[in-house]
Amino acid sequence: MTLLKVSGLSFSYGSGPLIADMSFELKAGDFMCVLGPNGSGKSTLLRLLTGFTKAGGGSVRIGGVEAAQAEAGRLAKLAAYVPSEISTPYDFSVGETVLLGRIARAGLWRNYSAEDMAAAGLAMRETGITALSGRSINTLSSGERQLVFIAQALAQEARLLLLDEPTSHLDLKYKSEIMALLAGLARRGLAVAAVLHEPGLARLGCNKALLLGRGGAYSFGPAAEMLSAARLSAVYGLPENSPLLP
Amino acid sequence: MGKNKFLLLFAALAAACLFSLAAGPAGWSNLDVILNLRLPRTLAALAVGAGLGLAGAIFQGVLKNPLSDPYILGTSSGATAAAVFCFLAGVERTSPVFFVAVFAGAFGATFLSYWLARLAGRLSDAALVLAGVAVSAFLSALVMLTLSAARERSFSLFYFVLGGLYSAQPGVLAASSAIIAVCAGIAMARWRALDAMAMGEEKAYHLGAAPGRERVIFFTLACAATSAAVAIGGTIGFVGLMTPHIVRLLTRPSARTLIPASALGGAALLAAADATGRSLFSPSEIPAGVIMALAGAPFFMWLLWRRSGGVDR
Repeated sequence: MTLLKVSGLSFSYGSGPLIADMSFELKAGDFMCVLGPNGSGKSTLLRLLTGFTKAGGGSVRIGGVEAAQAEAGRLAKLAAYVPSEISTPYDFSVGETVLLGRIARAGLWRNYSAEDMAAAGLAMRETGITALSGRSINTLSSGERQLVFIAQALAQEARLLLLDEPTSHLDLKYKSEIMALLAGLARRGLAVAAVLHEPGLARLGCNKALLLGRGGAYSFGPAAEMLSAARLSAVYGLPENSPLLP
Repeated sequence: MGKNKFLLLFAALAAACLFSLAAGPAGWSNLDVILNLRLPRTLAALAVGAGLGLAGAIFQGVLKNPLSDPYILGTSSGATAAAVFCFLAGVERTSPVFFVAVFAGAFGATFLSYWLARLAGRLSDAALVLAGVAVSAFLSALVMLTLSAARERSFSLFYFVLGGLYSAQPGVLAASSAIIAVCAGIAMARWRALDAMAMGEEKAYHLGAAPGRERVIFFTLACAATSAAVAIGGTIGFVGLMTPHIVRLLTRPSARTLIPASALGGAALLAAADATGRSLFSPSEIPAGVIMALAGAPFFMWLLWRRSGGVDR
């Protein structure tokens, strides 16, 4: 089942093209990593997919719905997005934050329903943060915070999950935990796309890879093929025998 | 747990009302003074305080900025300028035209500050405060210029601009209270969208709350509440800034409790401030706006210090 279909997507910030005529598809069960050097448009791509940033041309269909034309409330039921960094000056509790994932489904005038509570509870169990429920999100470590916002995204019950650098600033243990969590979600039938900084992490469960180069160049395919030393060294401009490449 | 915190707020509100009814040279001795002078004035303080507290809580949420309030963003200055022009043009204070004009002034000034801050690039806390300062300074100068030019009527208007609760006409008080109550009701119904905005625009969008639309809705509510408050009491600052911060110490930061608690807290705070102004140097009076600025300006500096890395995080 195709959950994300991108065709002919293009975007530029004025100068040269950042994304040019990009097309790819994700099906239920796919876990795709997005790799590329700084400034190659990885984060911009995720925002283009959800329509938060308006594309210059092309089409993005999420669950069969054209993202650029969909209302925010409808889109939130189809795709959930975890930004690389969220800060708020206010001390929302972990439980409140996860429940905010339900606002597209909860109507006005009433409190959260039993169904909303159950979805938030399940999302917190899946991410292992149930014990943190009463804590303020501003007192958590970066790894715990990342899990809270993944749980919030899961509470949206969308089939497509997009994450911008979910593992940056985290220690190795959290990195592997979060990659295992995302791989598990893909096995459960979600389509997951994550921007990663380190190609090595993609070996932890990704079956698809999207490599972005300069000036809108890209390549998409099975992870095993895309993550070859030859391709990665070309994309990052490193020698093929660099110890940084997996 | 939430219920007890609200009881505490109601107790503070009752205490402030009693203080306000008792404050003055005559004390409790003259029932006539209490019913005919102090009661209307207490009601005016409650309405103005509730409106400003509500507007502060809305602005701080929708802009994700704890330094914002109707005074700092220029909302109050816009409303005051529009009110002064209405007085000079001879528009009745109870007429709908007056309320529409004051709202237009508030809304225009707020969006101007917002737009200026956006022009500066990223919408940082500081950029918004600076833009608000520029807009209010310009509008205040415009008001002062007008007052200096229209010499014969300027004395009563000068007191209006200074901010105080002297002679609230029953018609204005009733209309303003109704506007503030409606705004509070709508804001309470939309509390989830306000919480989403407090996580930032990008997050709000992806949770299902369209940021552009929510901003217009919440700016409208906050500006309507502010202009209703200004119609009664002129420019009174810092109620909208301080109240949500004080109230957050009692309740959760979620708008679900913060909105009603800020309206109650603002009412209590301003009633107490006005009563303080009447008792400190009795029989002379200090306007409520002056008392609030005396308390609020140091509070604002403390907030700035804390946000710039003092104890934050």
